[in-house]
Amino acid sequence: MAERQKLQRPPRPVLDISAPRSMRRAGKWTALILTAFIAALIYLGYTLITESSFYMAKSGSTTYGIVCDRTGDVLFDGSQPLTNYPAGQFADVGNLIGDTSGQMSNTVVAKHLSELANYSFTYGNQAGKAKVETTLSHSANRAVFNAFGEKNGAAVAYNWRTGEMLVCVSRPCVDIAQGYANLDSMPSGSLLCKAFFPTVPGSTQKVSTLLAAYEAAGVDTVNALQFDCTGKWVNAGGDTINCHQAYGHGTQDLVHAFANSCNPYFAQLVQSGIAPLSSIIGTYTRMGYAVNGEKADTLSLDGITIQPASTKLSDANNFETQWGALGQGKTLVSPYQLMLWQGAIANGSGSAVQPYLIRSYTSPTGEVTEAPAHGATPQFFTAAAAQGVKDVETQNATDHYYISFDGYSCGCKSGTAQVNDDGREYENSLLAGFCLDDRAPVAFCILIEERQSWEISTAQIARVLLNAVSGIS
Amino acid sequence: MTKTKPISHPFLLLLVLIAHAAMMLLVILSFGITPEVIKLACIVLTADFVGSIILQIVQREACTVDTVLLLVIGMSTIYQSCFGGLEFATKHFIFSVGAFLMCQASYLVTRNPYRAERLKPLWYFMFFALVAAIRFLTGSRSMWIDLGFITIQPSEFVKPVFVLICASSIRTQLKKSEYLGIHFVPDNLLLIFCTAVIAVLQWWCRDLGSLPTFLAVAGLAVMLRFCYLREKISVRLIVFLGLCVVAAGVFAWKLAPAYVQERLHSDIWSDMSGTGYQQVKALTAIAEGGWFGKGAGNGSLIHVAASRTDIVFSTICEEWGLFTGMMTVILVLFLPASILTVPPRSYYHSGLAVGVAAVFMVQMTLNIFGSCNLIPFTGVTIPFISQGGSSMLASGILAGFLKAAQAPVLTGRRTEKGES
Repeated sequence: MAERQKLQRPPRPVLDISAPRSMRRAGKWTALILTAFIAALIYLGYTLITESSFYMAKSGSTTYGIVCDRTGDVLFDGSQPLTNYPAGQFADVGNLIGDTSGQMSNTVVAKHLSELANYSFTYGNQAGKAKVETTLSHSANRAVFNAFGEKNGAAVAYNWRTGEMLVCVSRPCVDIAQGYANLDSMPSGSLLCKAFFPTVPGSTQKVSTLLAAYEAAGVDTVNALQFDCTGKWVNAGGDTINCHQAYGHGTQDLVHAFANSCNPYFAQLVQSGIAPLSSIIGTYTRMGYAVNGEKADTLSLDGITIQPASTKLSDANNFETQWGALGQGKTLVSPYQLMLWQGAIANGSGSAVQPYLIRSYTSPTGEVTEAPAHGATPQFFTAAAAQGVKDVETQNATDHYYISFDGYSCGCKSGTAQVNDDGREYENSLLAGFCLDDRAPVAFCILIEERQSWEISTAQIARVLLNAVSGIS
Repeated sequence: MTKTKPISHPFLLLLVLIAHAAMMLLVILSFGITPEVIKLACIVLTADFVGSIILQIVQREACTVDTVLLLVIGMSTIYQSCFGGLEFATKHFIFSVGAFLMCQASYLVTRNPYRAERLKPLWYFMFFALVAAIRFLTGSRSMWIDLGFITIQPSEFVKPVFVLICASSIRTQLKKSEYLGIHFVPDNLLLIFCTAVIAVLQWWCRDLGSLPTFLAVAGLAVMLRFCYLREKISVRLIVFLGLCVVAAGVFAWKLAPAYVQERLHSDIWSDMSGTGYQQVKALTAIAEGGWFGKGAGNGSLIHVAASRTDIVFSTICEEWGLFTGMMTVILVLFLPASILTVPPRSYYHSGLAVGVAAVFMVQMTLNIFGSCNLIPFTGVTIPFISQGGSSMLASGILAGFLKAAQAPVLTGRRTEKGES
């Protein structure tokens, strides 16, 4: 009792004033920590529930659904052996759609494992209906794939009005139904989609250079420019730019130089200062190039990453700069990005409708979720520049590709890229363009590797592509 | 001012019995009525009953901590007995009982703040004795002492001692010394010194997992002392302290050893069979468990190392479901949260209670969020839930501090003055 009374006696008067306040603060600190912890716990619960499909998919603890094209044709099926399907069913889409083997990481399946998992946090594992519906047209894809014959390369096309990806071919291509037992003997590049990887663009780069010139000096000024081509042209640094036409094209204006793909003309355009190098760099940067080692945003197609274009432009009088503006040297662009710019040219606005590949997701319980709207890309270049290039490309297609594009209203630019692959030199053929017809409003890019003059051309493949996608709704 | 009528002690204990009985029903649903199930039910329910009787006889006022403690350790015993198949977790149960007894013992030692404060030299002695034990008796760069029949983790016992060191009375804070014209509180200097000793020791042991716990306790102790020393906390001071903490964090981040850096930057999904193995398995187990789990004993996470300790939250979620896992965490939270409903009655006890809250909260944060890959994964336990004798006993001691903070030893004075 005496001890209790002793405890109840206040030690110092000052304590009576300060202690309650300090003790209340102790309670506040505790409440603060508790609140923070409970908030974090709620976040954890939310994360666990929403990411649980991903956990199950990544750890292989569930079955997977199917990936199909716009008509329901199966492009991947995780619920049964792929060998149950007809031979060649997946031969044209293997390196785009992918599978769950883990061999490819930049594919539709790899990027949408969570959505494909036949699992839900509430119902657990089930023989579900998980499905990812793409915008691809498998029949068109297969037609374009087959049109390559024995050649390797890539072809990519999308509806520049709606943004739907319709065709995406990359050869050689792994047949996922055959598995990976012969992985070592597979041709190089079988496991990646070349449409998403930068390559030497060749003269298709002149589209970018022309856009930069239009932006800097105006369409009329540039169109009126005339330069002389004698087959060779010596720049201010004393280096020679060769034209593919050994005897030259003579004096020509832009429309003819564009059609002729004349290197000396465009080299003189760069050196002339009509479009200052800083302007060219500015336009290139807005278009998404990583110029002179600067970082550019990586592009994404529903999670699939696309390496950005890159180039080096240091001095307008410098050979490397001029060569880069002609699509050689250090310049690299992916077929996807070439296609994207063509979309922005086709609609005449300088900004493309954002391409997308996934149309809808179906949950394991059968609920369908439409993919969100994708909007437009940033403004790559001005509408005036886009319209100017559209006119030039259309003129080019009308004058020089009237047989290939007979019956279609198209615009295009071809290119021949000189590639040095670890000492092995060869030429790739490219064609980037668009079709304005209502039955096939597509922007496209075709790449044929190591093409010889007698072999199938990019324009012929483009024709197959246009025929294949015509009337797709 | 109306006074809320407290919930009666017997009623709370009845709730404990009902909760444990409900869990046992779920166990019966999974395993049927087997001798092992009957054994588990008898032991857990008897422990509840005996514990209730003891508490009724010994201490009837501060019932919140005891009730929650009985509830949690009973649940913990059921969990640990059912993981991967039914086998009564004898060792875990013994340490649970030990924790309960430790709680009562530490309560008796600290319920009188003046006596606890007078014993501070003893706490310092124990602190340095434990530090010396870790430095000289544990294996090379390890926190464990192996006695052959049992292993002890002295660093767990440093936690309650450190909380005792961090708690301070106003009288102690008023004892200022002067050296070279600088006024300082010796107790505060000792606190900083002890914190530094802990940091160096943990660094030496290559076991930085518990360091955030100690730093949180010390940081809150410092803040509480500022709270006393200034009637209004200076915003500048808070900003300055905040910047110091951020700077120290950045400094520590940059200087962290390679193995810590690896954990800070590793992507578990790119190394699922390596460094990310435990977390991948833990997350997958939670996903497989869903809302209500696979059923007691039906989990597979038990085959993964540390399933009963470092990733025990996932093991519970797999077998009992995320809902039960979350409820269990919230139940443990009731322990530190109890000081909000029954506030500490002295400044010294405020320091104790906040220190205990910091230990419990930080440990749960490191364990749960680490195993779920929201923060770097460290090997710390969830108080009373994870297996581990040292951790269990140390947690029991800390719970005793909470009980002491709520013990009505000083209520007479306040009542006499008409305060409520």
